[in-house]
Amino acid sequence: MDDLLADFVAETREMLEASGGEIVAWEADPSDRARLDTIFRFVHTVKGNCGFFDFPHLEKLSHAAEDALADCRAGRREADSTLVSAVLAIIDRISEMIDSIEAGEDHPEGGDDALIAALNPHDDTPGMSPAEPHKPSETTQVTATSPAEGKADAGPKPARAASVQRTIRLPTELLDEVMKGVSDMVLARNDLARRLRDAGDHPEIDGPFDRLSTILAEVRSSITRMRMQRLEHLFSSLPRLVRDLSTELGKQVMVDFEGGEVELDREMIEMVRDPLTHIIRNAIDHGLEGPGERIKSGKHEIGLLKFAARQSGNQITLAISDDGRGIDADRLAAKAVAAGIYSQAEIDEMSERRKHHLIFEPGLSTAEKVSSVSGRGVGMDVVRANIEHVGGSIDVTTKPGEGTSFHLKLPLTLSIIAALTVGSGGQRYAIPRSYVEEIVFGSSDHVDFAEAGDRRLVTFRGKRVPCLALGEILGSEDPGSVDWASMTLVLVRMASNDVFALAVDRVYDHEDVVVKPIAPAIMETGLYAGTTLLDDGRPMMLLDLPSIAQKHRLVDEMRSMARTLPEEEQTEQRKARPVMLFTGLDGRRRAVRLELVRRIDTISREAIDIEGSRKQAVIDGAIFSLLGLEYGELPEGRCRLLRLSDGEHEVVYAVSEVLDAADMDGEIVPSSADPAVEGVTLIGGEPVPVIDGHGLFAAQGTARKTGRTASCHLPASSDWARTILEPLVEAAGYRVSTEPEEETDVAIELVDDDPRPAFPARHIIRLRPEPEPAENDDESIYRYDREALLSALKRARVEKTA
Amino acid sequence: MNDLLLMCLIAGRRAAIPAALVQSVIEIDQITPIPGAPDFILGLTAMRSQALTVIDCQIALGFGGQEQDSDRRAAVVQVGGHSYALLVEEAYDVGEARSDPIEVPGGFGHGWQMAARGMVETDCGPTLLIDVDALVAGPVARAA
Repeated sequence: MDDLLADFVAETREMLEASGGEIVAWEADPSDRARLDTIFRFVHTVKGNCGFFDFPHLEKLSHAAEDALADCRAGRREADSTLVSAVLAIIDRISEMIDSIEAGEDHPEGGDDALIAALNPHDDTPGMSPAEPHKPSETTQVTATSPAEGKADAGPKPARAASVQRTIRLPTELLDEVMKGVSDMVLARNDLARRLRDAGDHPEIDGPFDRLSTILAEVRSSITRMRMQRLEHLFSSLPRLVRDLSTELGKQVMVDFEGGEVELDREMIEMVRDPLTHIIRNAIDHGLEGPGERIKSGKHEIGLLKFAARQSGNQITLAISDDGRGIDADRLAAKAVAAGIYSQAEIDEMSERRKHHLIFEPGLSTAEKVSSVSGRGVGMDVVRANIEHVGGSIDVTTKPGEGTSFHLKLPLTLSIIAALTVGSGGQRYAIPRSYVEEIVFGSSDHVDFAEAGDRRLVTFRGKRVPCLALGEILGSEDPGSVDWASMTLVLVRMASNDVFALAVDRVYDHEDVVVKPIAPAIMETGLYAGTTLLDDGRPMMLLDLPSIAQKHRLVDEMRSMARTLPEEEQTEQRKARPVMLFTGLDGRRRAVRLELVRRIDTISREAIDIEGSRKQAVIDGAIFSLLGLEYGELPEGRCRLLRLSDGEHEVVYAVSEVLDAADMDGEIVPSSADPAVEGVTLIGGEPVPVIDGHGLFAAQGTARKTGRTASCHLPASSDWARTILEPLVEAAGYRVSTEPEEETDVAIELVDDDPRPAFPARHIIRLRPEPEPAENDDESIYRYDREALLSALKRARVEKTA
Repeated sequence: MNDLLLMCLIAGRRAAIPAALVQSVIEIDQITPIPGAPDFILGLTAMRSQALTVIDCQIALGFGGQEQDSDRRAAVVQVGGHSYALLVEEAYDVGEARSDPIEVPGGFGHGWQMAARGMVETDCGPTLLIDVDALVAGPVARAA
């Protein structure tokens, strides 16, 4: 049976039992006000609960009894024995129905009307008389003789009940206590395990200890389940809320639930109730249009509010979607500007997605006017804070005209969290697993460190994110002394979708930790969220990442960094035009567009080779063209180099010092005097030449490829192809494929090669041995026509990237 | 006034903590430091699978740090639902208070004044009665 139903049955039973004495006493003295109240509460509760289920008969009965009793309580009617009998008959009937419901049978129908009629004081329906005064036995008879013959079922009942899941209700404090006890037991077990380890082998103890551990693990998991509740419990209260709100606002809303069977910590359910209510209010008030407007925009008259829950590992995702008008990003942005939260320039740089996230900014309401439903001073920022408080996150997606979805991610439980343990300064710390996006080693090839002012950045998978060392955050380490390449980076994604990298000495393990609160004085540091004990009994602190991010203004920092973030946002980024300021070898200040800078390198003078017009630098075993030398001499010893990339090629640019990152918000005034300079712009009121990235790379041609290179098949059997053709093709930026199955960008075939091996390729270049083309052959290229071959290869490449 | 007191030595002076508040007296061997925490909080230690916040009473009273040669004894107390280990120089026996805590003219001097509930007479002579709540709150919170 459904849990919710089981609860209903159990609750009704419990109330019946508890009020059993009251019923008897009321029978004896119908004027007893206290008893009347008890009975009233009972039928009232039954009626209320019926609202969640499809029990029309039950609802009708309890409703009728409630009405009659309400009249008595209000003094409109005297509680006489006739009424008492009638009410008791109904209660008996309810009890029978509950039995049937529990057994999963159809409850006996019919006879209800007679019972209800019996409540009526002026009733004189023959047959089903209001039972004779002071004869409760008669009352029972009414039920017993009712057409459905409820009593006839009495025989098989006990057997039936046995198959039904038994439930009892417990105070939550008791559950909490047990839960805490088990958590402590786990810690004590860990402590004992450590001591046993220290003491060496004790086969006679180890066996029983293992058994104890297993039992404890089982108990812990059942205790956890005990705290779990189906989301249905939360969902069950929502239709009412939605109905009330939509009526108030003159809208029609349909509710759809999915995943009600997903279980969540009872406490967590209570914690998300308020945020959820707020989201629903917003959805109905701002999201969904009125019926008229909906029809006009070709939608169904009735709006749809959908709740979908899903469990994925240690997390619950809950999506609340409406099919309303969606969030108007521009209006939201305009409001943010009006409220002074962001400047127009900042808004211009934002991606659409980022604008939608403005809804979570404090002091921003999407409401045109404050209605009675929303605008109560609580905004989505509070919702987000509440969700984050329980270790969850919230996200929003919206499509104008189609609707809005809020995605909540919630941890399963509050007290036991999945954590990642990391080391810094010889100590271990725990990070809630839900924040951890990825773990990378600082020494990996695809991780680049850079500096912008004092802010350290790390480029990872094309994103440039702020990077902080944990030791620096905790104040136990000087940022200058950090050896970044030896660190392990934990990429942390905040609920606001901001990402930053946390550099730690090492990552230990994933663990489920029991989190305990910490002393207020430690809480004040804003660095820790709680404490937990390690297996060896030593305490370990749990880091408070949202607070740390706040404290280091990482969320704000990232707002300005967002422009160098994902590649798909390049269009927005271009408007932002961040630049990096440096001084060239001549000591003059210049700027380069930040997108071009992949990293900053320092190499020794020996790694630079200059011969005539050829200037090259060797970094990590690769050769780069060296630029920037026209301004002055390279320093002896160590040279600072900017590694610039246009996405395909990389060059290095010698500078004497890297200064800072800055915003180029004004115009670039073109300059024709220096071809290496794109123009001059004002940064902080001073003119700064901006070096011409385009010209720079245009002059370089094929310096060094990065990213995916095009692939090429060569004729397999030809020595000429291997010795002469291959280096040429490779120099043109192709990777020569040796896999016959691989579909390459280009396949080169020799005309005289017969039969031709059919390589799968998008382009085929055919080479002929003779300088002059044969008849009917206007496509092949003479195999020593270097120009034609290179341009054919280049054409294929361009078509590939297009 | 016959309250039991835990007699101890803090910053070279005789002090007493109401024994009713003390859950146990432990010897601390390992302390997990908490970077960023106020300096009177030395860190965390574990007692029977329970984490305790270790407070250096001497620093909490506003004196300099403790010398290394102390025997690292601590009185475990609970304040506001949190357990603390109050690190003292020495912890002697439990004694009886022979008087109510009283103020002395001119106060107890800098530091002591803020965290002392008064002076009590004991069998070993006059002793300062420590206000555990104030001690745990630390120098900054008290001054505020």
